[in-house]
Amino acid sequence: MLTALATLLSHYRRHPGQLAMLLLGLWVAGALWSGVQAINASARDSYSRAEALFTTGLDRLERRDGEPLTRDDYLRLRRAGLPVSPLLEGSLEGLDGTQLTVIGIDPLTLPGDNAFAAASRQGELTAFLTPPWQTRVAPDTLPSLGVNARQAHGAEPRLAEGRLPPLMPSPTLPPGTLVMDIAAAARLLDSGERITRLVSAPGMLERAPEGLVLTRAATLVSPGQLTESFHLNLTAMALLALVVGLFIVQAALGLALEQRLGMLRTLRALGVSGRGLVGLLALELALLGLVGAVAGIVSGVWLASLLLPDVAATLGSLYGAEVAVTLNLPWHYWLGGLAVTLGGLLLAGSGVLWRAARLSVLGLGQAQAWRSGFLRQLRGMALAGGGVTALGLVLWAWLSRQPPGEGLVAGFGLIAALLLASALWLPPLLALALAGLGRLVRRHPLAQWALADLQLQLPRLALAMMALLIALAANLGVSSMVGGFRLTFLDWLDQRLVADYYLRPAPEQFDTVQAWLAERPEVAELLPTRHAEATLVEIDGPDGLRAPHLPVGLYGITPGESLIPSWPLLATRAGRDAAWQAFAAGEAAFVNEQLAIDQRLEPGDRLTLTAPAGQETLTVAAVYPDYGNPRGEVLLATPRLAERFAAAPSSIGLVLAAEADEAALRDALRRRFALGGDALVDQREVKRMSVEIFERTFTITRALSALTLGVAALALLASLLAQARERRRQLAPLWALGVPRARLVTIQLAQLGGMALSVGALALPLGALLALGLVAVINVAAFGWRLPLHVFPGDLAVTLATAMGVALAAAALPATRLWRTPPRALLAEESGT
Amino acid sequence: MRPWFVAALLLLTLAGCGERTAPEDPAGFAGLGEAAGDFAQARRGNALRFPEDHAAHPDYRIEWWYLTANLADARGEPLGLQWTLFRQALTPPDERPAPTPWAADQLWMAHMAVSRGDTHRVAERFARSHSAETGGQAGTRAEPFRAWVDHWQLASRVDASDEANTDDTFAALQLTAHQDDEHGGFGYDLTLTAEGPLVAHGAAGFSQKAADGQGSMYYSQPFWRIEGEVTLDGETREVSGRGWLDREWSSQLLDERQQGWDWFSLHLEDGHRLMAFQLRGGGPDGGDYRSGTWISPAGEPTALGPDEIGLTPLASREVEGREVPTRWRLEVPRAGVELIVEAPHAERWMDTSVPYWEGEVIARDADSGQDRDRRRGVGYLEMTGY
Repeated sequence: MLTALATLLSHYRRHPGQLAMLLLGLWVAGALWSGVQAINASARDSYSRAEALFTTGLDRLERRDGEPLTRDDYLRLRRAGLPVSPLLEGSLEGLDGTQLTVIGIDPLTLPGDNAFAAASRQGELTAFLTPPWQTRVAPDTLPSLGVNARQAHGAEPRLAEGRLPPLMPSPTLPPGTLVMDIAAAARLLDSGERITRLVSAPGMLERAPEGLVLTRAATLVSPGQLTESFHLNLTAMALLALVVGLFIVQAALGLALEQRLGMLRTLRALGVSGRGLVGLLALELALLGLVGAVAGIVSGVWLASLLLPDVAATLGSLYGAEVAVTLNLPWHYWLGGLAVTLGGLLLAGSGVLWRAARLSVLGLGQAQAWRSGFLRQLRGMALAGGGVTALGLVLWAWLSRQPPGEGLVAGFGLIAALLLASALWLPPLLALALAGLGRLVRRHPLAQWALADLQLQLPRLALAMMALLIALAANLGVSSMVGGFRLTFLDWLDQRLVADYYLRPAPEQFDTVQAWLAERPEVAELLPTRHAEATLVEIDGPDGLRAPHLPVGLYGITPGESLIPSWPLLATRAGRDAAWQAFAAGEAAFVNEQLAIDQRLEPGDRLTLTAPAGQETLTVAAVYPDYGNPRGEVLLATPRLAERFAAAPSSIGLVLAAEADEAALRDALRRRFALGGDALVDQREVKRMSVEIFERTFTITRALSALTLGVAALALLASLLAQARERRRQLAPLWALGVPRARLVTIQLAQLGGMALSVGALALPLGALLALGLVAVINVAAFGWRLPLHVFPGDLAVTLATAMGVALAAAALPATRLWRTPPRALLAEESGT
Repeated sequence: MRPWFVAALLLLTLAGCGERTAPEDPAGFAGLGEAAGDFAQARRGNALRFPEDHAAHPDYRIEWWYLTANLADARGEPLGLQWTLFRQALTPPDERPAPTPWAADQLWMAHMAVSRGDTHRVAERFARSHSAETGGQAGTRAEPFRAWVDHWQLASRVDASDEANTDDTFAALQLTAHQDDEHGGFGYDLTLTAEGPLVAHGAAGFSQKAADGQGSMYYSQPFWRIEGEVTLDGETREVSGRGWLDREWSSQLLDERQQGWDWFSLHLEDGHRLMAFQLRGGGPDGGDYRSGTWISPAGEPTALGPDEIGLTPLASREVEGREVPTRWRLEVPRAGVELIVEAPHAERWMDTSVPYWEGEVIARDADSGQDRDRRRGVGYLEMTGY
């Protein structure tokens, strides 16, 4: 049996290219898949650490007027018997420039069931409560403090704000978070008697005490929930890469089997049983799989560590979710990666094993006979493609009946079906096209030969071409989506940010600052905003009454001559002007697209919201786009919001008069009101930051999509290299008939280039369809807003060029070899068969 | 003598159920055998001074205000309650942090319990304070007397602003504490009226706790008449009865070898009061160390030495997975007292961060034979280290 295995494996000694291709496929597939999974696992670990902390999971109390609570408020509530605990939050800059969150707690009153309590179980309370106090910090935050893990315990790093209390590493804390006693935090942050909020165990308070706002833990969205769709996107991309990689593997395996048919028959004839042979092939597969998978996982982790800082930055800026920038992988991650890669290999290799099992001992390996087998296979592919299409149609029908914003997984399923069906139909289509073309060029023998030859090559190229099609289409779809999003987003930013400066005065200064600004000659218009929270208790729409009990944000804007013309509206009841008139009069509200999709709201619906003085009912006049916002929002005119909902002041937008002296105004503002450094923000700065956040969001998507295309190119190259020898053998007679070598090389390049171009051309509509699926289905389900579909001619050209480039690059190496091979060698090879 | 486990806060978990202190803990039960270090020391010869001593002594490591009461409702159904405020110094006096906002040198823990029949409800609270400030989340005041954590408080009913009023503000108190829970809540609102004088234990207030001389400052008010309302599982009843308040402070209470104690406070029918305890371990030859006070109806104390008290467990019950003696023989030959003291309900486990047993007991004459109704008195029993 060992001898038989050695015989089987000896094939790869003679054909190292095939072995390399097999391992390459496995390696690349495994690397991309496990890389993305490593990122997901690491991020989830960060979320679960954050969720276990007291920032989520506890009810919160804050002052209705937006001013900070004080220690006296806390004592007053405690003496009234309310089970509240003080929390002080602030931020510090780490030594490497990262923002660190300082959380000061009172462990004596903090509700018990949180990670911090668990982390402190062994610790000493006294050391935590008394000078020099302690800083609890996750080990992955230590680099930001300039401390290495071995010296961390008891170290007292100095930051700009002062020396931190001695460090005490606590792995259960979320990254970027320093937890200490509230006395130590108050000293470090110089916050005096102020606290950020009061927290309470969920449900312990029946209602908010006078003057305070109670936010229930249940309404606070946890980072895990928020980012779920982001991770699903990543997973889908990784799955795509895995599939493409496995295409390569299957191509390599098929080729290796094909070339070993003679050897297999000999082995059978020598007495190795059919079952034994299949077992041996399976064993071979497992060995190769193990090597490939391990290499894949190792490189995957390396890849993940490269990509993670970008992912972390994205998640941080999009959702405010802190994710550690160093990998933190649970043991099941490793097993899972191995299982998925090996499972995929088994799937890819099952066809080969099936064929080996049905191998007829006496059958002769004949090209034509084999071709008829391929024709059967083509019919099978066309049928399977039809089946997948039907499945896709069913999914589409189901999705179109769903309320918008649901069915993210089904949406990905639909897109997967679209890709798979196209891939399955590609070889039959190519075969048909070749046969048709062959009839057209009957008068040109060389062209006819080239087409017939391509038909013979098709079985071996088919898989590589399928991989190329999928990769091209995915690349095009993703870049259309990202590019379209970018355009829309930038437009929207321009429309939204109409003021030249945004000023954020302290709440107690707000009215004075506003009055002062109104007098200044430099200011053309003031756009004060306000913010409040409320619960949407009732919706009165055409389908009757609904009671969603949904927490929503309320925002107040100033509908003036600068804002109204540029503020985009998606749907209105009676036109733009009427909508703005009703809005400015305070009779109507606008809702953002997220809320409209989520609650199936339409202009004309009536909303009932909780307000300090009971309930308020408003009519929806329009729906507006609100990209990048995970929450539902209701927009009101600022005066109305202030009056009815006691909304806290938020910021003032300053539209400057033409030729206003900006610097003078800035200086006057700073001198008059002693504003903090970040109180006045330049609109250009806001835009720059927003665009930066946006670019980060799609860094990963772009990187993965480019990597997938790279994998497909490798697949094509590998398939061509693997059969280069055989090709030479087929070309030899042609050369012997007098066709010059230059001509032969051109034919070769034309064959492949033409095929790749056709695949590229097919990829164009497929990519557009994919982009449509992404913006109209996936995006709505994942983020809650719809994007207009943009197709960029540049992207299309790039796709075609990529297809050609990949094919020509892949063909170039075998072609050069052919060019260099002396004709004698070609003939020798021919006679050798 | 009262429970010594305040120092256990040093070991305790921040919230929820703490680690059970193992009996072989090297520094006595709940760390109470730790050396006193730089704290003030309780010594023989230290004098008690009132009203100052009603308030906290932050220079000492530990201190408590400990009230228990044997009450009955209008139909005569018995009901027990406990309210305790523990203070623990976080640092010795010369290491106190500057009084910046939230900075603390004192830690407070309060326990409350209401029991009737097999029902026993317990709650616990924690707070911090700085000894340089008044009016924090928890604290005490000597005149007019007040001790509190959050909205739980024991405070004088005497109006201090009334100049003409020269009454002792400690003699008439109001106890208020309520806690919400899943059974509908429990709590009390009671008036306490002293019907006798304060009683100093040991040598004029110094109570020795081990053969080698460690001890505490210790006095009691064992003559409370109590009236008011008690709520249990959401149901409020008018009650009345007797109460016992202990005040004790120290910096090192236990000998390192002492692992727990059994403590009795009894109101006898003839007007006498009896306090007796034994510390298991730390006696003259490594045996148990006993002490107590026999108090006349007029409040005159007679200190009882280690050889003048007999304490023998007669029967035990399993409570919360522990074997706890609930029936005792208590003998004080000098007072001619030989009692069988029994807890009618064993389910009085205090499942607090430092767990212990604390519940009502009934005392009978040891020679009463089968006559189970011949009561000599009622009181409270506390047992730790089981």
